[in-house]
Amino acid sequence: MLAVAIFWVMAVLAVLGGLGVIVSRQPIRSILSLVVVMLALSVLFLLLSAQFVFAVQVIVYAGAVMVLFLFVVALLGPGRERRGGHLRFQWWLGWLVGLVFGGFIYSMVQGAHFRPPQHVDLSSFGTVQEIGMGIFTRFLYPFELTSVLLLVAAVGAIYLSRGGWLSGGRRAALSDEERAGREEEPHA
Amino acid sequence: MPLQAITLAILVLPAAGSVALGLGALRVPRRLVQVIGPGTVWVAFLCSLVLFVDQLTNNGRPHDFTYWTWLSSGSLQVPVDLYVDRLSVFMCLIVTGVGGLIVTYSNGYMEHETDGSYARFFCYMDLFITSMLLLVLAGNLVFLIVGWAAVGLSSYLLIGFFYWRWSAVVAARKAFVMNVIGDVGMVLGTFVLFATYHSVTYRGIFAALPKTDSPLLELAAFLLLVGAVAKSAQLPLHTWLPDAMEGPTPVSALIHAATMVTAGVYLVGRLHPIYDLAWVAHGAVALIGAVTALFAASIAIVQTDIKRVLAYSTMSQIGYMFLAVGVGAYAAGFFHLMAHAFFKALLFLGAGNVIHAMNDEQDMRRYGGLWGQMRGTSICFLVGSLSLAGIIPFVGFWSKEVVLGDAFSKPDPSGFPQAMWAIGFATAILTGFYTGRMWWMAFAGKPSPERPVQHPHEAQAVMLVPVVVLAVLSTVGGFVQINAGFHPGWKLIEDWLTPTFGPLPWQARDLEYFPTAATLLLAGVAFWPIADAFYRRRVWSTWSRRLPFLQRLLERKYYVDELYDLLFVRPMDAAAEAGDHLLEAPVIDAAPAGVGVTARSSAGVLSLAENGLFRTYALVMLGAALVGLLIVLAVRG
Amino acid sequence: MPDYGQITIGGGTLSATWFLGLAAILFTLGAIGVLVRRNPLIILICIELMLNAVNLTLITFARQLQDLDGQLFALMTMTVAAAEAVVGLAILVDISRVREVEDIDELNELKG
Repeated sequence: MLAVAIFWVMAVLAVLGGLGVIVSRQPIRSILSLVVVMLALSVLFLLLSAQFVFAVQVIVYAGAVMVLFLFVVALLGPGRERRGGHLRFQWWLGWLVGLVFGGFIYSMVQGAHFRPPQHVDLSSFGTVQEIGMGIFTRFLYPFELTSVLLLVAAVGAIYLSRGGWLSGGRRAALSDEERAGREEEPHA
Repeated sequence: MPLQAITLAILVLPAAGSVALGLGALRVPRRLVQVIGPGTVWVAFLCSLVLFVDQLTNNGRPHDFTYWTWLSSGSLQVPVDLYVDRLSVFMCLIVTGVGGLIVTYSNGYMEHETDGSYARFFCYMDLFITSMLLLVLAGNLVFLIVGWAAVGLSSYLLIGFFYWRWSAVVAARKAFVMNVIGDVGMVLGTFVLFATYHSVTYRGIFAALPKTDSPLLELAAFLLLVGAVAKSAQLPLHTWLPDAMEGPTPVSALIHAATMVTAGVYLVGRLHPIYDLAWVAHGAVALIGAVTALFAASIAIVQTDIKRVLAYSTMSQIGYMFLAVGVGAYAAGFFHLMAHAFFKALLFLGAGNVIHAMNDEQDMRRYGGLWGQMRGTSICFLVGSLSLAGIIPFVGFWSKEVVLGDAFSKPDPSGFPQAMWAIGFATAILTGFYTGRMWWMAFAGKPSPERPVQHPHEAQAVMLVPVVVLAVLSTVGGFVQINAGFHPGWKLIEDWLTPTFGPLPWQARDLEYFPTAATLLLAGVAFWPIADAFYRRRVWSTWSRRLPFLQRLLERKYYVDELYDLLFVRPMDAAAEAGDHLLEAPVIDAAPAGVGVTARSSAGVLSLAENGLFRTYALVMLGAALVGLLIVLAVRG
Repeated sequence: MPDYGQITIGGGTLSATWFLGLAAILFTLGAIGVLVRRNPLIILICIELMLNAVNLTLITFARQLQDLDGQLFALMTMTVAAAEAVVGLAILVDISRVREVEDIDELNELKG
């Protein structure tokens, strides 16, 4: 009983949060709605015997990535969305396509033939040990690749935030006189 | 066998000379060119002498040297073979001998050309000599045609030698196109012969000939005759020859007088077994020859350019040769060929001396009085003129006598040969007239006031010596065949060519020669006093004023050129124009251009999909995913 | 509705189908957001929402199929999502230095 109640509460929270994400005028509210969604989902993961993923979701996703978004909003300012702009029709079209898409997903789900496995042993399912074993045996290659990916992303982010010469980064965009001036300095 | 090698050497040496000069045109020094050019021809002459001696001593037994088989496909066997018999040796000697003299002469005549041009000239001349030798030595029709086409090419190259002149280029093209018409006839004739007799070699065809005439044989003979007519500038394919005088004078001498234009005569002679059977075509040969002779002689009497007079004269004399071989007097025809080679080359080279001395002036009306100033050339030119007119004792008399006499005395119920003789008779009178006119206008009398050079100098040695040699040959050359009643006659030419042609089928009685001798005396009369009267005493101009229509007809060469222009050139031009408008631009050019236009327009259309807006792309992606889901749904049921 | 199995936990029985339905709804909402919203930051957030929905699907099927690979893959997905968010935000910040970006439709120079 408890589980069912928890499920429904979290499900409603998630949907409300999702609506909040797409409806909010200000980005900060969207972000906070997404945090709500993530936390709700993490509880649902717990219901699904994914203990480690629950923890990672809360710590990394809700805790780090969302905080990153918050910092960016702080950097960029509130930024309200104006009405109008280029593709006026896209508002209608977007809702239409999206809902149609949802309908299709529903009909996809309808037609599935699913047979759950006979033996269900959840004693060690989703534990840290199992996850660890999986990562370092079956998922070793993707694991290593994703760590490289993280490295690349980090380097990229640093480079981009330093600014290319377009954005007026420190060392890149000197005018010719400045460069000449700088070169002359040590000789003088 | 050394003889086999020597025969091949005759062909290969001038070819090697041509290739060497062609490739090294700008690097070979002029002295070396002067040696290679004529040198290879003289060496070929020596080789021909060797063959001559061989044919002399072995009773004229022919050799058919096969070097290798070029093409072997089913029943089509084309060997690379050279046929050496008395006729081909005869032609080789003339080509290399007279050719050698002319090429040596051009050492001096072409001296004003630049080094590159000089080498180019001799390259082409050697090419021509090789091609002509291939033509006369070939042992099968395929290589005959190869040589035939190659001399056509050489002719084109040499007529258009001064390629910066519009008139020369147009003349060269005209010559080539008309030659190609002849080539087509030759090739078709070969096809007919091969299809009927399954062989292309002379031996094969002659062995397979039936005993009687057949329509296919007539067809082949007529087709081959087309080739002969085009190459020898006979009616109706004659219009290229006068224009060919645009080439340098040695070219006119060699190609358009002594050798190339006689290839038609050689063809009929070589294929005489065919023509002996196909009597309709054979008669056509004689008729064409006679009519052309008269036609050309009539035009020659109004020409003012010295080279044009000689060109029409050539046309006319070849008509005589066609007449001879057309009635079956082959030896007579070839005797006249040899004589003509001597005196026509002599006349052309002599004219070349005059032209050279007069700064390239060719209009005879501006000459006059050269007798006093260029004595050597004048004497030689006189010898040549008398020979052309047929005055005793020069070679022209003897050869024309044989031709006309044999024609007159041939027994034929229809009287056809005698009719031909009559035309030849009339032509001889005209020949005497225009020859005399030419000599009187150019050499006699007072110098014309319009002369470009007041004191022309005699030609240099390298240009005078060949002329003198030819004059000597023209003087004594006739005595090799004396038919007239002075002797029971030694007939060296006829005897020489008997192994090829057989003896003359009818007996030419001495009695018949008197009309012909009388003819030629009349010609002599026409030459000297009448021409003197007309030109020195200026009786001529009243005639031309009295009959302006006739004058114009002759001057315009009977309007043949205009007729051809109307019938052939204009329709072809119109067709080409139409093709350009209707086919070239819209279809052929449009195809690749259309591809480009299509690519651009489709790219233009497709690039509209890249509008730079993220949300459009997102929408499209989602829409595509939707479509994918639809498909999966449909497939799954 | 087809049956994706039961989840018995702590005395209650849940149907896996509910989880999948929830994931579908969240994904659709995220898709609509990407198409309709014009603020680039919000678009990025909607993408994150879609990714979370996919994670939920993965975890559910991992549970139902008794295969841990689903959870492991969800972890990988999270990592990639983090990396992608980082880079996307860095680009956004970089562009914002030059000009005020409120409407993603203004960034339309890569066309033609």
